[in-house]
Amino acid sequence: MPPMHEMVIAQNILDIVREEMAARQCTRLVRIGLECGALSGVEPESLRLSLEALLDGGPWAEAGLELRVIPLRLRCFSCGTVFGGESGQDALWQPCPRCGEQFGHTVEQGKELRISHLEAS
Amino acid sequence: MQIPVVRNVLEANEKLADQVRARLDAGKILALNLISSPGAGKTTLLERTLADLSGEFRMAVIEGDLQTDNDARRVAATGAQAVQINTEGGCHLNSSMILQALDNISLDGLDILFIENVGNLVCPVEFDCGEDAKIALLSVAEGDDKPEKYPLLFNLARAMLLNKIDLLPHVDFDVQRARNFATRLNRELAIFEVSCRNGQGLTGWYDWLRAMRQAKLEGRLTRPER
Ligand SMILES: Nc1nc2c(ncn2[C@@H]2O[C@H](COP(=O)(O)OP(=O)(O)OP(=O)(O)O)[C@@H](O)[C@H]2O)c(=O)[nH]1
Ligand SMILES: [Mg+2]
Ligand SMILES: [Zn+2]
Repeated sequence: MPPMHEMVIAQNILDIVREEMAARQCTRLVRIGLECGALSGVEPESLRLSLEALLDGGPWAEAGLELRVIPLRLRCFSCGTVFGGESGQDALWQPCPRCGEQFGHTVEQGKELRISHLEAS
Repeated sequence: MQIPVVRNVLEANEKLADQVRARLDAGKILALNLISSPGAGKTTLLERTLADLSGEFRMAVIEGDLQTDNDARRVAATGAQAVQINTEGGCHLNSSMILQALDNISLDGLDILFIENVGNLVCPVEFDCGEDAKIALLSVAEGDDKPEKYPLLFNLARAMLLNKIDLLPHVDFDVQRARNFATRLNRELAIFEVSCRNGQGLTGWYDWLRAMRQAKLEGRLTRPER
């Protein structure tokens, strides 16, 4: 995956961070809390590097990133059971643990890409 | 101080995508976003479609290209309106680019707007362009494990074209496997096995286009998931 992609995402994150910082009259940024679905298509390590690169040399160069991967959870097409593992894409190609259905599950969780919190003052 | 801030990272793009959607909905214009690896056959499919359906629909194309305007020129040669967006290395089109491109298209009387995204199976999937449906193109020359490797595209697409089936005798491509994984998270996915070289299978695609166009006209299309 070209790093370009995560650069664009990182840029979007910083636009939101700047807005929130200004709205709260904060100047010091300690940490950005991010939640990234296992199916979101974003590669966490590239995103971390992209954010570091964008923050480098600026007033928030020391800011850290707290990145939580949101595991994939599927809802069974046939019986409605929600299933998924503890981390990452565990559930991706698994049949429903209750009825064995393989097709048509709905993604209940795992496409998110959101800022969850900021640590700032 | 910990400040809870729950905000979707892609919200800025999605807001503009909704503006694109509003403009196209007003004209009942069906918008389709074509996504594939480089070289899977997006432009060839458009050349065929524009030529074969020119008597039936008014169609326009927004061409996203990393560097050149080759694809826009190929498409324009069919007589359809074509607008080129040069992403200058950017790996996907976004809704702000589409919004600008709309100013250079005469939307009056337009039936279908195709968006040819930049050849890439990851980035374009996340950036809503205001389309009614994403169309995934997969060529049999690139391996039957693509749906396994890029699940989000096949989860979100409303149709998948399996292109270059004229090459099937020469490649190891398990059509059943590709179909199987593409539909795991998308039971409703419409699948067409086609060759844009010899025209095989395209009538099914054209029928689907007609049905989608009709659904758009009658306001029956639900807003796509993202
Ligand atoms: N054998 C065969 N070749 C095809 C078919 N469709 C397209 N091609 C060839 O595949 C090559 C790439 O096709 P394009 O239509 O330019 O692909 P594209 O997806 O638009 O490529 P990019 O815009 O660069 O991402 C061209 O040489 C086409 O002639 C097909 O059905 N069969
Ligand atoms: Mg092309
Ligand atoms: Zn079940």
